[in-house]
Amino acid sequence: MLSLRIAARFLRRSPVQSALIAAGIAVGIGVQVFLGSLIISLQQNLVDETIGSSPQVTVAAAEEGEPVTVTEAVRASLEGDDRVVAVVPVRTFSAIYRGDGASAPLQVVGGELGELDTIYDISGRTLKGAATLAGDDVLVGKEFAATNGLEPGDRAVFVLPDGAESRRTVAAVFDFGTAAANQTFAFVPATFAAEVLGHAPDQVTAVELQVADVFASVAVADDLRGDPALAGTTVSEWQSENEDLLSALQSQSTSSYTIQFFVLVAVALGIASTLAISAVQKTRQIGILKAMGMRDAKAGRIFLWQATLLGVTGAAAGVGVGLALIALFSRFAATFTIDPQWAFVALSFAVGVAVALLSSVIPSRRTSKLDPIEVIQGG
Amino acid sequence: MAEQLLVAEGLGKTYGDVVTTVALSDVAFALERGEFASIVGQSGSGKSTLLNLIGLLDTPTTGSVSLDGKETTALGRSGRTRLRNELLGFVFQFHHLLPEFSVLENVVMPGLVGGGSEKALRPRAEEVLALLGLEGLEDKNANQLSGGQKQRVAIARALLNRPALVLADEPTGNLDTANTALVYELFRKVNAELGTAFLIVTHDRAVAQQTDRILEVSDGRLVQDVRNEFGAPSG
Ligand SMILES: Nc1ncnc2c1ncn2[C@@H]1O[C@H](COP(=O)(O)OP(=O)(O)OP(=O)(O)O)[C@@H](O)[C@H]1O
Ligand SMILES: [Mg+2]
Repeated sequence: MLSLRIAARFLRRSPVQSALIAAGIAVGIGVQVFLGSLIISLQQNLVDETIGSSPQVTVAAAEEGEPVTVTEAVRASLEGDDRVVAVVPVRTFSAIYRGDGASAPLQVVGGELGELDTIYDISGRTLKGAATLAGDDVLVGKEFAATNGLEPGDRAVFVLPDGAESRRTVAAVFDFGTAAANQTFAFVPATFAAEVLGHAPDQVTAVELQVADVFASVAVADDLRGDPALAGTTVSEWQSENEDLLSALQSQSTSSYTIQFFVLVAVALGIASTLAISAVQKTRQIGILKAMGMRDAKAGRIFLWQATLLGVTGAAAGVGVGLALIALFSRFAATFTIDPQWAFVALSFAVGVAVALLSSVIPSRRTSKLDPIEVIQGG
Repeated sequence: MAEQLLVAEGLGKTYGDVVTTVALSDVAFALERGEFASIVGQSGSGKSTLLNLIGLLDTPTTGSVSLDGKETTALGRSGRTRLRNELLGFVFQFHHLLPEFSVLENVVMPGLVGGGSEKALRPRAEEVLALLGLEGLEDKNANQLSGGQKQRVAIARALLNRPALVLADEPTGNLDTANTALVYELFRKVNAELGTAFLIVTHDRAVAQQTDRILEVSDGRLVQDVRNEFGAPSG
């Protein structure tokens, strides 16, 4: 522990120099914590926006256009997987809205409102009217309603797949956050959709699922594919339909790693050069300590300890800086919340300390090799 | 203990590979426990070289050094480092105090280096400081002392581990006459009270005259080794 004590004294002897290195580490780790949390939150936000409010795994009939029969066994299978947080049977068909001289294609989804809410949260995203799905209710999106001048209570005419017309009442207008979704989707009661599609009560177009961790959907889908209860169905996950998004996320991560890597390299070079200078400045002291009998390894450890002390204080301060930046950014700049990523924060801290230790290798080596005679003869 | 404290045999040192300087050649002498001796000689004659070889700070090109009955030539770096801590105390022309530490911490440092605890070493350090007339300076920073005080602290440090031999290379080279006289007085006192042997390098004949034995080095050779009957302290 003598090495630690000497290291602490050496650092305290030049407080400005020590504070500057610690500050350097702090800035580096702070940027690291902030940037890492920003990117992770940004990606989570993006994924949530894109996939969060849509099914992540879909079970449909193997043969296109055929219904899936939701037996007790099928339900039990789907609800039995504890990674699955929502199971929503839907009946979907295309329809055309016919207004005064204008028409617009729609993707109509039929289901129980309570179940649909678990994925789409229609009730929570209702702008106008009351979200209900009974009788001749239809729920339409914000942009669709605006383009076609529809308000809750208005009657709207839809042309069904078989060419028949159906008059329905707009119960509510929802906003899913994206114009495309608001333009495309409309919701109707499950019974009405069954009528349109000619489905028996236990038949649906597809069963849509949500999983707790959106990236676990591949594994969940794989497991379902091997489930005998689901024979005759085809299971798909969001990844296979969102390759562009995935590659965008991937390249975002890559560029963030690159920035972080170079920040760390800069930090390492800073610590290494300052420690090297410090080692030179303390040559006389090291020499005399060795003359009085300090072993080489112990002398070398002085700089390892200096690096540890600087690394730990600097990295701890860096975590503080990073969290402060996150708080500031969340408060003033972000349109979404940045959550501090604790695992990443811990990793950054460890990396900061490790980089400091690594940078001390050369000065430590130098110190341990120093021959006391060099100092004694030098006067 | 009949054994000699120090035995140097055929000691030689040559510096350089291409252009070689023979700094010391074929030096042989022995030192008893508790002896008070000096090494004199012209500048560049090899005094420091000899002292550094005896102090295990440098390795000889030829010959051997035995300390306290232990042959040191075969010892590795760590073995010599350990012997330095246990057997030897050093006083140099420059005090070489650690400016980061207090007077007391500087004095206990050889004990800490040897694995002791500050608490256990403190009484001994205070005793040595008192012996050198430095009471009350324990908590001062090493930088806050006068030149003479610094050198006395360096001497206190050299004495902490109760070395059998103190090697001093021009210990008063940076001091005025009053402080020089004080340092030699203290060396004598320590020699008398603790039985510590001293080997002091000096180019000052007058100083050498006050020691019990004078070794003279010239051109890297030991040319004279005389007992000095006038050296004993007056009285
Ligand atoms: N590291 C070295 N490399 C090469 N030559 C050296 C080295 N150290 C000493 N010498 C040479 O060895 C000789 C003896 O040097 P040394 O330092 O022992 O002399 P000294 O008697 O202590 O002199 P001074 O009274 O000036 O201190 C000198 O000629 C010196 O130039
Ligand atoms: Mg010399």
